[in-house]
Amino acid sequence: MIRFVLQRLLLLPLLMAVFSILVFVIVEAPPGDFLTSYIATLASSGSSIGAEHVEALRRQYGLDQPIWVQYLKWVGNLLQGDLGLSLEYQRPNAELIGEQLFLTVVLALFSFVLTWIIAVPAGIYSAIRQRSVVDYILTVVNYIGVATPNFMLALVLMWVAFAYFGISVTGLFSPEYQGAEWSLAKFLDLLAHAWLPSLVLGIAGTARLTRVMRANLLDELNKPYVVTARAKGLSEWTLVLRYPVRLAFNPLVSTIGWYLPQLFSGSLIVATVMNLPNIGPLLLRALVNQDMYLAGSILLIYCMLTIVGTLLSDILLAWLDPRIRMEG
Amino acid sequence: MNFVTGRRAPVAAVLLGAAALLASSSLGAAWAQGRYKEAPQLAEDVKAGRLPAVDKRLPENPLVVPVAERTGQYGGVWRRAFLGPADANNYVRVVFDSLFRHSPDGGKIEPKIAAGAEPSADFRTWTISLRKGARWSDGAPFGADDILFWYRDVLLNKDLTPSLPGWMRNKDGSPALVEKVDDATVRFVFAEPATLFLTALVAADGGDRTFAAFLPAHYLKRFHPSYTAKEEVDRAAQAAGFKTWTELFAARNAPPENPERPTMAAWAPTSRVSDPVLTLKRNPYYVGVDPEGNQLPYIDEVRFTYFADVQALNLAAIAGQFDMQARHIQMTNYPVFKDEEKKGRYRILTWSTFGGADAAITFNQTYRADPEMGKLMATRDFRIAMSHAINRDQIKESAFLGLGEARQGVPAPWHPYFPGDEHAKKFTSHDPALANRMLDALGLDKKDAQGIRLLPNGKPATIEIAIVPAFGAWPDVGQLVAKDWEKVGIKTIVQIRERALHFKMRDANELMAEIWNQDTTGFPFTGNTKFDIRIPAIQIGNFGPLHGQWYRSNGREGAEPTPEIKRIVELIDTAKTVGGDAQVKVAQDLFRIWADQVYEVGIVGLTPMIQGVVVLNSRMRNVPAQVGNDWPLRTPGNARPEQFFYQR
Repeated sequence: MIRFVLQRLLLLPLLMAVFSILVFVIVEAPPGDFLTSYIATLASSGSSIGAEHVEALRRQYGLDQPIWVQYLKWVGNLLQGDLGLSLEYQRPNAELIGEQLFLTVVLALFSFVLTWIIAVPAGIYSAIRQRSVVDYILTVVNYIGVATPNFMLALVLMWVAFAYFGISVTGLFSPEYQGAEWSLAKFLDLLAHAWLPSLVLGIAGTARLTRVMRANLLDELNKPYVVTARAKGLSEWTLVLRYPVRLAFNPLVSTIGWYLPQLFSGSLIVATVMNLPNIGPLLLRALVNQDMYLAGSILLIYCMLTIVGTLLSDILLAWLDPRIRMEG
Repeated sequence: MNFVTGRRAPVAAVLLGAAALLASSSLGAAWAQGRYKEAPQLAEDVKAGRLPAVDKRLPENPLVVPVAERTGQYGGVWRRAFLGPADANNYVRVVFDSLFRHSPDGGKIEPKIAAGAEPSADFRTWTISLRKGARWSDGAPFGADDILFWYRDVLLNKDLTPSLPGWMRNKDGSPALVEKVDDATVRFVFAEPATLFLTALVAADGGDRTFAAFLPAHYLKRFHPSYTAKEEVDRAAQAAGFKTWTELFAARNAPPENPERPTMAAWAPTSRVSDPVLTLKRNPYYVGVDPEGNQLPYIDEVRFTYFADVQALNLAAIAGQFDMQARHIQMTNYPVFKDEEKKGRYRILTWSTFGGADAAITFNQTYRADPEMGKLMATRDFRIAMSHAINRDQIKESAFLGLGEARQGVPAPWHPYFPGDEHAKKFTSHDPALANRMLDALGLDKKDAQGIRLLPNGKPATIEIAIVPAFGAWPDVGQLVAKDWEKVGIKTIVQIRERALHFKMRDANELMAEIWNQDTTGFPFTGNTKFDIRIPAIQIGNFGPLHGQWYRSNGREGAEPTPEIKRIVELIDTAKTVGGDAQVKVAQDLFRIWADQVYEVGIVGLTPMIQGVVVLNSRMRNVPAQVGNDWPLRTPGNARPEQFFYQR
C-alpha cells in the first residue's frame, strides 16, 4: 500500500512536466496572441488602439519572443513557485486565483453536500421500493435532471425569478456587500444567494448519483448473502444498510476523487451565466482573451488536482473495500 | 434627429480646431472668494480639518459646466456594470479625464482641465493655458511640469514609448516640441501645420492602456529611473511581480489599476478594475463648478459591478439594477427595455451612432487567394451591382428593429463633413434588375444549374462574408444579404468566426469581405480611421491590406494602389495641414470618392446599435436626450456626467 502511494507520488513530477507542455500548447493553439484579442475586444466595444502602441505593448509583455523561450520562462518561474503575471489584469496570477478560491470551494462544497444528501437516500429508497410510485416519480425527475444541461436550467430559473418575482438572482452577494469586508451579515447574504446556484450545479449530479446508487443496490439485493442474512432473521433495514448499501457505495467512492478538480473549477458555463464570482469565469475569460499565463496556471492546477484526486479515490476504495488490495 | 440645422455652423468652427477655444475665466471670476459651495460630505471634512476650504481647492478660474436641465442636488451612487479589466474604457468614458473634451453634440471641443488653446496663424504652434491653482485629487498642484513630465520622461523615453504616436511626430519622424512657457502655460511646436492637433490632444486621455498627455509627476517620479535609483525601481518592479520597470510604471500610472494614483477627473477610483466592484469616489479637488458656483460632481460615487457575461449584464439592466448605462446594452433587447420602461423604474433614451453605417460590407481590394474573385471585387461596377442587390429596408426592419436609415458610410447630415444626400444614398436603392444587367455586362452571363453565375474559369462566383457577432445582429444581416446576392446569381457564404481569429485573418489578407460598422466618419483624419489604408488591417477593417503594405514599405512590398485610393491618402494628409473651409472641402471630397467607389457597401446607419440604448434611472436628471455617440467623444463623457444628479 505505502509502496503504491509512493510510486504514484514519484510519477507526479513526470506527469506534470508532460502536462505543462500540453497545457502550453493548448493555450497557444488559438491564432494570434493576447494583443490580437485585446485589439478585437476594443474594436468590439467601439474603440481602437494605435499600431505603435500595440508594438510597445507586445515588447513590454514579451510576446515578441519565440514560443519556446516563452515556455521556458513560464516553466522556470513555475519551478520557483511563481505562477507569473496576468496580462489582462496586470496582477500576479496566484493572487487572482487565490481571491476566487474561497467562494469557489464554498459553492462546490455546498452543491456536493446537497447532492449526496438528496441522492443517497433517494437511491436507496427507489431500489428497495422498486417499481413503486415514488420510484417512478424519482426516475422521471432523474432523467429530466440528467438530460437538462444545467446552464439551461440556470437560464430558466433566472427568467422565472425575474418574470414572476421581479428579482434578479445573478451573483453571490447583494450590491451592498459586494466589495465589503467579511461580516456575519455578509455571510448570511452569501447563504441567501448560494442555495440556488448550488442547486443548479448539483442537480445533474444528484440525478446521476441516484441512478447509480439504485442500480448498484439492485445488483446487491439479489445476491445469496442477502438471502442468507434475511433467512437468519436480520431486520430488513439493518440488513440493507449494513451490507448491500456499503457495497453499493464502491463505484461512487471510486469517482469521489474526481470531485477535487471539480471543487476547484466551479462549473464554467453555469457560473458565467449566473455571474458567480468563482474560478470558472476567470478561466473562460483567460482563454478567450488569450491571457496565456493565467489560463495555463489554472489548467495546470486542474491537472494536478485530477492526479491527486485519482490517487485519493484509490486509497479510499482500498480502505472501504477490503477485497481490493494492492500487491506487496 | 433632434439636431437642429442651425447647429451646423458652430460645429464647423470647431472640428477644424479653430481659435474659438478661449478661457472661460471671466465667468469664474464673477464669484467672489468664499462664494463657492460644496457637497455636504466635503463640508464635514473641511470642518473636521481633514480638507482645505473649497476656495483653496478650486483653481482661480474653475471650469464652469453648464447644466443640461437645472441645478442639481448633491448625493447618490451611480450604479453601472463592467466586464472586467479589458473593459477599462468603461471607466475612461465616464470620467473623460482630458485637457479638453468634446461637447455633448460632438460638434465642439471645449476646455476641461486646461483653460484654453490658442493656435498660431499658421497652425504650427499651439499654446495651451492651464488653470492656475488647479490640483490633483491628492491635493498636489497641477501645472505645466505635469505635461513636461509626460513629454520628456514618457513620450521621449524609448523604453516607455518605442515609437512616437502619429500626432506627436513631424513628417521627418522627429518629435514635435513641447515647451514650458510658465507654470500655467505650455507650447506645442510642430514642423508642419497641425490643424487637427486639438482632436488628438482630447484623445490623449489615457484610454486603451496608453499614457495621457498630462501625468502626476510628483507621484510617478518614484517609479521612473530618471528620478529614482534604477536598482530601487527594479526592486519595486520585481516585488510586484513585473519583469521590467516599464511594466511597473505603466501599471502604477493607470488610475483604474492603482487607486493611489492621483487623477484630475470628477471621480477618482478607490478600488481596482480587477476587483469585483470598481468604485469611484468624488474628487474633492475637481476643477468644475456649476453656473451657481456649486463644486461638481453632484453624484457622490460611481460603482461599477463586474459581470462575467454580457447576457447576465443585460438581464440585470432589464431588472433595473443600473442607473445610467448604455455600454454593453444590446440593441436586440430594445423591445424588452421599452416594455419594462412602462413600469416606471427607468427611462430608455436612444443615442444614434455618430454617422457612418452600423453594418457595412467591406470588399478586400487586394484579395489574392482566389484571383478571379479578387479581380471582381476590385471592379467598381461589380461593387455597385452588389450594393443595388441588397434589400436594405428588409434588413432595417428585421435586423435593426426599424431604427435608423439605409445609407452609405459617410458622415451624418448634421456633421459639417456631410457630402450631401446624393452621396449618402448613392447606390442604396434595391434594384436587382439593374444589378443583374451590370453583372451580365461584366461577362458573368453564364450560369450553372442552381442559377449561380460562372466566372471566366468556369467556377461559380462565390463570396464569403466574414462576420464577428460584435454588435447588433450582424449574423442576421449577413444571412439576409446572402439571400439577396444569391438572387442575382452570386453564391454567398456567411462565415461567423471567433473574433481573434477574424482579426488575425484580416492581418494576413485572408478575408474576402467582412461585415463591420463604419464608425470613423465623424473623425476621418485622426486615430484609426477606416479611410487611411496605411493603417495595418488588424487595427481597423482595412479595404486593401496589400495596399497598406505598399505604403508602409515605401513601395517595396504589397500592391500599388489605384489612383482613387492614392487620392484618398493625399486628401487625408492635406486635411491635417489645412484649416477652416478648406478642411471641410477636403473631407467632402474624400466622402464623395468613398461613396462613389463603394469599397465598402453601407447598409443601415444612424441606429443606436453601439452603446446607444441608454437605460436611465427615472430619478436621474441632466442627462441629455440626444448626444453625439462615438468613441472619440468618449460618450457618455461628453454629456458632462459631473452634472448628472438624482432628483430627491
